[in-house]
Amino acid sequence: MNEYSLLIILLLISTLWFYFGNKTALSLKKKQLKLNSLPHYYGIYVALYSFIPALFSYLLILVFDGILFSNLIIEFVPKEILNSPDFNKIIVLAQIDNAVRGIYFGEQPDWVTIASNQMIEWNYHSLILNFFCSISLALGIGYLGFKNINEEFRSRNSVEKIIISLLGLSSIIAILTTIGIVFSVIFESLRFFAIIPASEFLFGLIWNPQFEGAERAGSGQEGLATYGSVPLFVGTFLISLIALCVSVPIGLFSAVYLSEYANKKERSIFKPLLEILAGIPTVVYGFFAALTVAPLMRNGGSLIGLDVASESALAAGFVMGIMIIPFISSLSDDVINAVPQSLRDAGYGLGSTKNEVITNVIIPAALPGIIASIILAVSRAIGETMIVVMAAGLAANLSFNPLDAVTTVTAQIVTILVGDQEFESAKTLSAFALALTLIVITLILNFYALHVVKKYREQYE
Amino acid sequence: MVINSNINNVKTKTIGEIFSKDPKIICRHVDVFYGDKQAIKDVSIDISSREIISFIGPSGCGKSTFLRCLNRMNDTIDTCKVKGTILLDKDDIYDEKIDVVPLRAKIGMVFQKPNPFPKSIYENVAYGPRIHGLSSSKEELDFIVENSLKDSGLWQEVKDRLNSPGTGLSGGQQQRLCIARAIAVSPEIILMDEPCSALDPIATAKIEELINQLGKNYSIVIVTHSMQQAARISQRTAYFHLGELIEVGETKKIFTRPKDKQTEAYISGRIG
Ligand SMILES: Nc1ncnc2c1ncn2[C@@H]1O[C@H](COP(=O)(O)OP(=O)(O)O)[C@@H](O)[C@H]1O
Ligand SMILES: [Mg+2]
Repeated sequence: MNEYSLLIILLLISTLWFYFGNKTALSLKKKQLKLNSLPHYYGIYVALYSFIPALFSYLLILVFDGILFSNLIIEFVPKEILNSPDFNKIIVLAQIDNAVRGIYFGEQPDWVTIASNQMIEWNYHSLILNFFCSISLALGIGYLGFKNINEEFRSRNSVEKIIISLLGLSSIIAILTTIGIVFSVIFESLRFFAIIPASEFLFGLIWNPQFEGAERAGSGQEGLATYGSVPLFVGTFLISLIALCVSVPIGLFSAVYLSEYANKKERSIFKPLLEILAGIPTVVYGFFAALTVAPLMRNGGSLIGLDVASESALAAGFVMGIMIIPFISSLSDDVINAVPQSLRDAGYGLGSTKNEVITNVIIPAALPGIIASIILAVSRAIGETMIVVMAAGLAANLSFNPLDAVTTVTAQIVTILVGDQEFESAKTLSAFALALTLIVITLILNFYALHVVKKYREQYE
Repeated sequence: MVINSNINNVKTKTIGEIFSKDPKIICRHVDVFYGDKQAIKDVSIDISSREIISFIGPSGCGKSTFLRCLNRMNDTIDTCKVKGTILLDKDDIYDEKIDVVPLRAKIGMVFQKPNPFPKSIYENVAYGPRIHGLSSSKEELDFIVENSLKDSGLWQEVKDRLNSPGTGLSGGQQQRLCIARAIAVSPEIILMDEPCSALDPIATAKIEELINQLGKNYSIVIVTHSMQQAARISQRTAYFHLGELIEVGETKKIFTRPKDKQTEAYISGRIG
């Protein structure tokens, strides 16, 4: 007897209800009564009616008994441990939990044994309670549903309603998760802004996060931490811009080629090949950028007398551009294909050449979709991390020169959070402030994209 | 450039008068294939200057296909092959040396569903003159646009909103916009493929009136499903059946005294 067998019992009960519902409906039908819905809808209705409330109570008890018990069990921890300076609730709870599972590390203190026995007992009671509640709900509410069955009952519509609410619930869960993430980022950011003023963060020109009291690498002095995020956003902007300069023309042109010039066979070869680019993991792009492209650019640059940093915005942006080509080409290809043939006919009928039809008719008509695909690519570029960490460097230089090493917001978040962290420090919290700003920027971009698309759509439809 | 001296010496099964004294387009033994499937079989017919001729016949008989041969719109369909001779002013339009761009400027086309570009009303009409370089100044272009819109009877309705989108007009207005767009490049011939089939009766009446007007200056070939429409607007009518041209002649004669049994059956509503 455990939680899983209870779940199986609940499923069995609802299957039984399905059977009874179905059977009753069939027998009504046998009596020449005209049923409102197909018989199996009655079965499904009763089954769902019994299973869903039972499942809720099951999950509720399962989640909340753990929370309740871990708070109650603290009573069993001796005072001297509770008051000692290295008391850590998580470790104590883990100790008890291990004992409950029968895992022991060395000698067990008495209080752990007592607490774990108490815990086992509580768990047992809770399981019994869960069995009782869930099964009686499954039977009771199932019975109520079963009682509803008569020839006039519209089981099809009721099943529809139940399914709609399940679907709605799923989307609410997705939305709540997003909201949860955003709020946790906001709260941590507020803690950061309590230490560092927002104006310094938003307008400061030097990014040099330090742990409190840490010495500056190699300098032997205590460094001064500064959290001016401007260089990071400039770096992000610069690299994204380079990526767009690479990907927009190539992506758009290949989309035009694929949809307007390529024949079926060429299309069936080129399109999947392009889409493979989207499937390559970004780490691979990252070391391609760092180990192949960056040295190439450095050597090429020195040949023509340019001083290219060995980690440069140009290398990272270029490779990122290649990475987002398929986003632009694939989506643009779809929207170009969706331009109605009648518009092409109109163009050709007036004596346009193919090229004129593409530039004067098809691209303008597909523009909202193309813009949307570009903005999607921009969000992708802004959020991209791996390539930047590997190829652009971590030096927070404030520079608009593509040949310099720069860093981006995401790359900094990574370096801040990799390795040991002091959770309360401004350095760690700054990652949240950076993330928040990034989220806001991406949101603004997306709203703007929607706005642009809507405006064009009104004009074109 | 080849002018066949015996161009009017054709063997054809078509009943009626396929020849014209003042031919603008001369079609001889035209076959059209979609892949292996033959959609047009040995069609020979003349189309005169400044006449309105309608193509009628049951769905799928090849009216649109034949119409699209006349301005080489069939070139845009990969599988489509055209055989035979089509002369425009005595030049073979399927000659290798012929450029379809000026050809299609000479032969305008209006489609079944109104298909204005997703641009402003002005830009829709200005599109053709622009790509063919017909105007050297903004004033000249304005003039062409205004005249084309006047000729298509749309000017009064749209002159105050030339910059609003063409797609915002009503169906009938859109179709007249498409006609204005076609005549803006000063074609000599206008091909219309069921131009009223997506329109309500009032819009249809306006377009028919417009076609009658245009017939004074252009040759108009119109495909139509409506016999009444053919009777109302065209001087000559050609009846197609299963890819063949069955009968051609004066509209009046075709509708009152068809010589062919199939034509009679179609006109009296027995073939749909
Ligand atoms: N693009 C195409 N590919 C293959 N077959 C076609 C195509 N267009 C038309 N056809 C075929 O050619 C025949 C004539 O079609 P169409 O000219 O459109 O007839 P209509 O305009 O008289 O209704 C039909 O049988 C049709 O199925
Ligand atoms: Mg047709």
